Amino acid sequence: MNTSLTFVAYTIYLPIVIFLTWYVAHILFKNSKIFMQDIFNGKTDIAFSTNKLFETGFYLLNLGFALIIMEITRNITDSQTMLEILSTKIGGFSIYLGIMLFFNLYLFFRGRRISKQKARTIDTYTPASYGGK
Amino acid sequence: MNTLSYIIYLLLTWFITVHVGLIFYRNGKGYILNLLHGEEKLTLFINRTLLTGYYLLNLGYVTITIRFWKPVHTWTEVVSSICTMTGKIMCILAIIHFCNMAILLFISHRHENTNTNNKNIIL
Repeated sequence: MNTSLTFVAYTIYLPIVIFLTWYVAHILFKNSKIFMQDIFNGKTDIAFSTNKLFETGFYLLNLGFALIIMEITRNITDSQTMLEILSTKIGGFSIYLGIMLFFNLYLFFRGRRISKQKARTIDTYTPASYGGK
Repeated sequence: MNTLSYIIYLLLTWFITVHVGLIFYRNGKGYILNLLHGEEKLTLFINRTLLTGYYLLNLGYVTITIRFWKPVHTWTEVVSSICTMTGKIMCILAIIHFCNMAILLFISHRHENTNTNNKNIIL
């Protein structure tokens, strides 16, 4: 009985976590292409490959973390305990995912600001060498 | 039970490693090409060497981790041990990946700096 309840908890937890990660990554990296093009001054191929690399890293890190925290060591006796444990785990993972999302957004904004600053300094200080080698 | 979980684990992690490696291989080409100012042959060589090194390192590590596996008896234990181990592997992959990107960024920054210095000297 105990074992089967733990198993049920795993089968509920896994699809929810995978769907959450997929959804967040999908939304984030569909919209980050514009940022990337800004950061790399319109070099489309490098911008897209950076986007893809970041997306892969995001999936790896978050799914890996979700799988690591999955193990339930406590004995589950009834469905109430199972629900409590599940909600703690899924809620904690959602908060973690939200923090990662905002961290990524911060990185994108920072990259955009830096690249704009760089373009401006090149424009003002060395107009002759701009666009040269 | 242990053998079964080994087989599932190996299939899962090998698939992940190979898939991720291919993604890196395809998307990393642009970077190296940019760093080497468009030398196609050298880029291809470096990229392929990097891919081979990555496969050797990660598949080797994945296979070694089987040695530290606790004995499992029930289906629940099978699922939980497979998931924990796969999670660890994925986190390690992610960390290595981000370290790689940081190194690439560092190298390209240094490149840019030397380039601008040269430009200033010429000017």
